[in-house]
Amino acid sequence: MGEVAIARVAWKLPKRTVRALLDVLEGGVLARCPSCHNTFSTERTGRQICPVCGKPLVVPEPQAGPPTAELVSEPQGTPWERRSELGFWQGWAQTMQQALLEPGRLFASARLDRAGAQLGFAILTTSVFWAIGQILERLLLRGSTDRMRELFGALSQNPDVAQMMQRMFEVQSRANSPAAVLALAALTPAFTFVLLYVSAGITHVVAAVLGQAKRGFPATFAACAYACAPLVLLAVPACGSIVGVIWLVVLTGIGMKVTHRISTGGAAASVLVPYFVLCCLLFLAVGASALALRNAAGVP
Amino acid sequence: MRIARAGPPSIHAAAFAGVAAMLLLAATALPLDAPVLALFACPFRTATGWPCLGCGFTHAFQFAVRGQLGAALGASPLGTLLAFAGAAHASWTALRFAGLPWAPAIAAGTRMRWACAVALAANWIFVAVRTRP
Repeated sequence: MGEVAIARVAWKLPKRTVRALLDVLEGGVLARCPSCHNTFSTERTGRQICPVCGKPLVVPEPQAGPPTAELVSEPQGTPWERRSELGFWQGWAQTMQQALLEPGRLFASARLDRAGAQLGFAILTTSVFWAIGQILERLLLRGSTDRMRELFGALSQNPDVAQMMQRMFEVQSRANSPAAVLALAALTPAFTFVLLYVSAGITHVVAAVLGQAKRGFPATFAACAYACAPLVLLAVPACGSIVGVIWLVVLTGIGMKVTHRISTGGAAASVLVPYFVLCCLLFLAVGASALALRNAAGVP
Repeated sequence: MRIARAGPPSIHAAAFAGVAAMLLLAATALPLDAPVLALFACPFRTATGWPCLGCGFTHAFQFAVRGQLGAALGASPLGTLLAFAGAAHASWTALRFAGLPWAPAIAAGTRMRWACAVALAANWIFVAVRTRP
């Protein structure tokens, strides 16, 4: 059982200076649990149970005299979470800038009660640029398909193999039809939503098993959602996706470290272990996309 | 785990219910053992000969949604458990949206962490032994 940190609460109203809680709410204190590091409000001191993690702790008597402990304040929110005051594009652009250049600052300012905004940022950023990338890739690779077909046709002397190759290229050509490409592009928000939650869920379970999930699932989700920022590179054909995914992994690690307030090693382990788990699921997702395309193209 | 009074589901609870429903629907609709999906192999298993931690989960989902419990457990006991947990969570969340004022409260303490680690390890050993040539 540990003794908790204790701070007098500031009560800030618009256009008013910060004042100590004792002036406003007599006896109330903010306490931080030594086990889960969550902050909670309590009206009494002494032995009690943390309302977040359920572990026992002791809240000490507040010291007499003027408050000297540091004030516990909520982060102000990322630019995207403050887009109502900054504007939509300004909020998105500043969030992207911080995610790519100052990730520590971005994750430190993320509010854990803004899951909807974080989900919106991840889905918007990923799906729009993923869709653009798919369309660009189809346009740029259209010419190379015909060249490949001619090349394989010339190389293969076996008529069965040549026929199989021909069939493969036909399937690919149908999948590259404008209707199939647009249909797949329209489905990217759904794919993004599922992949984001599967990834965040697995990362959180691994972090919890390793004892690194100090601040609950909302902290893991904030890390995973803002780590999607480098996926704007999905719009770059060919190498963009590789660079984007590697950058995403690094950002998720930084995000886990900052949002959960854990060590670098713990964050790295929490982020890298799931990729062994995702190994199979990632290939299934790719396969499912291929099958959906095949069905969309009307191939039996 | 205990059942406690709760308000409407959080955004994460609702999203996980949606994801679980979509995955179960995909497992019902997509033929995993027919081309094209059957052509995709786990790269970890291909490279090392050993299954990864997630190997067998997709087949467990596929068999579980078709009611083939024995085959599902044979593919991956943890995957089967996850499929049923996903279905239970999706159903319970739908009931909470309809006004059910109760929700399970799970404390992620040390005991739960160890249980998760042991379950993952036991499942991996089971799948590795069962699929080893």
